[in-house]
Amino acid sequence: MDAGNHPDHKRRVYSDVTQLVASVENPTPLVRVNRLNTNEKLQLYLKLERYNPFGSIKDRIANEMLKGLDTDGKTIVEPSSGNTGIALACVANALGIPVEIAVPDQVPEEKKIILKFLGAKLMEADDGLCPLFPSEGARGLVNGLIKSPALKDTYVSPNQYENELNVQAHYRSTGPEIWNQTQGKIDYFFAGFGTCGTISGIGKYLKEQNPAIRIIGVEPASPDHKLPGMKRITGLAEEYIPKILNRSVIDDFVQVKDEDAYQTAIDLARKDGIPVGPTTGAILFAALNYIGEGKGVAVAISPDDAFKYTSFYKDILEAELAARRQYGRGGGI
Amino acid sequence: MNDKIKTVEFDLCGFVCPVSKMKAAEAVNDLRDGETLNIVLGDTESLKSVAQELKDKGIKPDFKQDGENRFILTISK
Repeated sequence: MDAGNHPDHKRRVYSDVTQLVASVENPTPLVRVNRLNTNEKLQLYLKLERYNPFGSIKDRIANEMLKGLDTDGKTIVEPSSGNTGIALACVANALGIPVEIAVPDQVPEEKKIILKFLGAKLMEADDGLCPLFPSEGARGLVNGLIKSPALKDTYVSPNQYENELNVQAHYRSTGPEIWNQTQGKIDYFFAGFGTCGTISGIGKYLKEQNPAIRIIGVEPASPDHKLPGMKRITGLAEEYIPKILNRSVIDDFVQVKDEDAYQTAIDLARKDGIPVGPTTGAILFAALNYIGEGKGVAVAISPDDAFKYTSFYKDILEAELAARRQYGRGGGI
Repeated sequence: MNDKIKTVEFDLCGFVCPVSKMKAAEAVNDLRDGETLNIVLGDTESLKSVAQELKDKGIKPDFKQDGENRFILTISK
């Protein structure tokens, strides 16, 4: 049995793990939200990116960026709130390249443990570490490592914030997947702002197919938030906005508070049986409220699953349990 | 008993901010009683950030400029 160089998605036999990264021939699933969405005129679907081989939407860009990068014996270094780091570590391991990841504050322990498990060197950077990147110390640290003369020829960074391959990965795969899966009937598309590659790439593709599709970007309501991977664009100085953001494809911005994001994620798990991370909760909350009583077909990106955030959900669940006990509505022994 | 003060030079000229700041902070944390540390920096951004880091730690260093882009901060413990 030879796996060959071309993935055989029918037999599901692969020559290496990177061939499992989603593509038009091997899309991540679209799953309809049936119970949390009470609007019968709205078909709301989640694009479940957790079904990528390393567990998140970042698998697509890590694969695209690393395969387009000439490392020339250097170590890969990248700032990441976790998902890009995990995906880069997996792809780099498959290619035999060493990796170091700078992680910011507010990264759950679960992600740090996975990065260590994968053998990536972890550098924890306070958000206020670098005045050149206020509130993004991890980006500043990687910038410093790349620009330090003493470390010349030591590091190379894919730089997801400026790398056009980040956009291309979504333009070539995620966008066409959504178009095919909805049979071109999509009316609304929702995604979060982070590096801005997802919304720029998918938005561009969908707008080219049908300019009437509304592309809505979701951001945290506060710059000081607990939604790993998301970035508040509104109010950000121009020099700190990711260079790959294509504003021309975005129709609206929606802000979501942390508590609404977390509660929506918990409600989705309990009502529809879909365990997602808090950023999915934010995007889904935005979608439900933006469309309201409107009609049509909507797709919301679900970047990853709940399992990397159990320590973040723990506080909310414990508060919920305490409230139940206080009001005598059960809650255990 | 050795009364000599041990001076350690930590040349960070090849590192830009915030790498210089992180390495300087590590060196300060590793400083032992009786030791003197010369932190050598090669750009003004690094100088500013390391000086601020030392100020935050309650340390007042001696400062010397040695050429256009060579700054030395001296700390004794």
